[in-house]
Amino acid sequence: MIAALALLAIAAAADPGNLCTLCHPDVRVAFEKSIHSSERVPCTSCHGGDSTASTVEGAHRGRFDPATDRRAVPALCGSCHSDVERMRPYNLPTDQLALYQTSSHGRALAEGDTSVAVCVDCHGVHEILAADDPRSPVSLRNIAGTCGRCHADDATNPLEAYAGSVHGLAVAREGNPSAPSCSRCHGTHGAAPPGVGDIEKVCGQCHATTRAYFLESPHKMAMDEAGLGECIACHDHHRVERASIDMLGTVCLQCHDDASEQVEMASQMMTLYTGAAEALDAARALVEKAGEVPLYIDDYTARLTEAHTFLLESLPAMHSLDLSHVESLTQRARSIGHEVSSEVGGKLDGRKWRRVGLLLFWFYLILTLALLGRFRARAARDSRS
Amino acid sequence: MKPLIDWLERRFNLTEMFSFLTNFGLFPTAVDTSRPLGEALSDALGRPLPSYARWPRVLGILSVVLFLFLAVTGVMLAFYYRPTPDSAYESVTTIVRDVSFGWFVHQVHGWAAIALVLILLVRLWRFFFQGVYKTPREALWIVGVLLFLVAIHADLTGRLLAWDNGGYWSTVRALEVLYSAPVIGPSLEFVVGGSEIDGNVLIRFYFLHVVVLPGVLLALLFLNFSGVRRVGLSPLPGDAADAGGGAAKFRVHLYNLLILLVVMFGVLITLAVLAPAPFEHEADPFSTPPEARPPWYLLASHGMLEAFPAIVPRWGRALLLEAVLAAILLLPFIDRSRGRKMPERRGVIAIGLVVLVLWLYFTWYGYRLEVAS
Repeated sequence: MIAALALLAIAAAADPGNLCTLCHPDVRVAFEKSIHSSERVPCTSCHGGDSTASTVEGAHRGRFDPATDRRAVPALCGSCHSDVERMRPYNLPTDQLALYQTSSHGRALAEGDTSVAVCVDCHGVHEILAADDPRSPVSLRNIAGTCGRCHADDATNPLEAYAGSVHGLAVAREGNPSAPSCSRCHGTHGAAPPGVGDIEKVCGQCHATTRAYFLESPHKMAMDEAGLGECIACHDHHRVERASIDMLGTVCLQCHDDASEQVEMASQMMTLYTGAAEALDAARALVEKAGEVPLYIDDYTARLTEAHTFLLESLPAMHSLDLSHVESLTQRARSIGHEVSSEVGGKLDGRKWRRVGLLLFWFYLILTLALLGRFRARAARDSRS
Repeated sequence: MKPLIDWLERRFNLTEMFSFLTNFGLFPTAVDTSRPLGEALSDALGRPLPSYARWPRVLGILSVVLFLFLAVTGVMLAFYYRPTPDSAYESVTTIVRDVSFGWFVHQVHGWAAIALVLILLVRLWRFFFQGVYKTPREALWIVGVLLFLVAIHADLTGRLLAWDNGGYWSTVRALEVLYSAPVIGPSLEFVVGGSEIDGNVLIRFYFLHVVVLPGVLLALLFLNFSGVRRVGLSPLPGDAADAGGGAAKFRVHLYNLLILLVVMFGVLITLAVLAPAPFEHEADPFSTPPEARPPWYLLASHGMLEAFPAIVPRWGRALLLEAVLAAILLLPFIDRSRGRKMPERRGVIAIGLVVLVLWLYFTWYGYRLEVAS
């Protein structure tokens, strides 16, 4: 009795309003790490019961629900998180539940499939952290692993494919917040795979210029009619690699004949691009050499930056399949590269005049020496006589 | 011209002024200050010349001329230079890139500095092997050693000013060597203001480089040539003791000097054009380039400090360096051998040769240190 009273006293001293943790210390350890703990959300707001009661029966009295039914979880979380008034001070969105109900997860759950993800599968249970906390399972770097807990065994193994993609590497290696993880394309709470005709819209959220060019192209209508997945038909989806100009030599052949005019156009675009890129590389190398001399190069670096912009724009422009536009962009880049090369080359060549000057200098030097030699000889003769 | 000189002559003692200048070695004989300048000059020029007034007794004069040349080109550079870490590199870039012939003045200043240190060093070895430090020329030896020491400090302070990566890290390495010497190191560190090379150190180096060290050099050159004027040029053991009986006159000697100077400038200018010293990117205090090594004249000290096994503490190695330096400075009082001829000084010459070989070896060793790592 005394021992029980002492325990009670300790528990009361620790957290007078919350006696649940007296029997559930392991939950307390997990819960105290969570955002809910720091925002003082009590156990009873999810589980019901009476947190001030000091007996098991008293504590589990009334509307007590251990919340073990997966089907009830979204509505339980939504009881607070869909409440606009409650979420306002935190500036949190309140549409998660509504979105979830439209998602593949939510619809399967409604049909009675309890193996799909509910809130706690991604966010955790007692130890829920803020979504932007780097330790949270739904933070930028962790979310792919979290989705992959269920989606890694698909035939396509999207997790492995994504991890090796340009997007996955940008997230994992650089923590680049602009790079997409699963949820950026599939949605978070409303997660669902985009349909074939919607892929350019999803990719275009980030690649807006490329999308604009693509929409102008004859590909858009033809691919939609053929049921081809727009961007992913050439770039793949989870396995997106860093786009390179060399793709023009391979991906076009997936649909077009080797001898077709389309493949011919692809090789023309490739030639235009590589020609301009080489011209810029050569100019850059010369400018760097001139900078080491040092010669004044600030104007040239500015012009090369401009040329580089044209060259960069030619890449999305290729998606329009408008050869003349690609040609005008690459030509501008190339001609600036050639101009800079010839001007800087001229300045570097100008330095050879220093050597010519040196030769002239030595000519006069030898003349002076000869003259001095004569004067010296005369002085020596005079001093003897 | 003559009326102007006469007019000035009545108002200033031109001969006395010229006589003061002759103490800096440019004119190798005293002039009669009681006579007008023209007369005094033609009298001095017509005086007979000791037959041994020829190579290698021109190294002193060459160093004076180099000093003057460095002063003139240094003033040109100072017109554009700004001694703060933020703008030093930019201002030197302006000099070597935008100013007409700025690159030339910059390069020729650097090569002249190397030539000056080299000539002062060669001069010391000549003094040593030809026994010039013997009575009555002990003071000339000490002044010569001091000239060399001050000249390398002038060179060292100049290397930092451009604030390019090579110069910056070369200075860092040099200061590591200098600061490790007991007593001398901490004193230098106190004067310069710590071992971190920052804006304070830069402006102190600048002031030392353009005012203090040139002033000290000038004073030492004055001491040197006043001393030479007093005790005379040193005849070699084989030379005839013909102080007045030489065939040539000073006029001829001056032509010889002029020819030598023209050749020297030809060499300097050729080096500046064909072998320009690198002007690297701006100093990055946070990344040591792998080839960072002290300037050439400190490579031997650097190599020696690093060559000892770890059991000898660094201050102990530096103390040995200081002992060598003290022995060199006090050589005239340590070497009590009687004559100046080499056979009479076999022991000293042998030690000198060993020191020379060790110096060359450690220079090579110090250079290799950074190549290996």
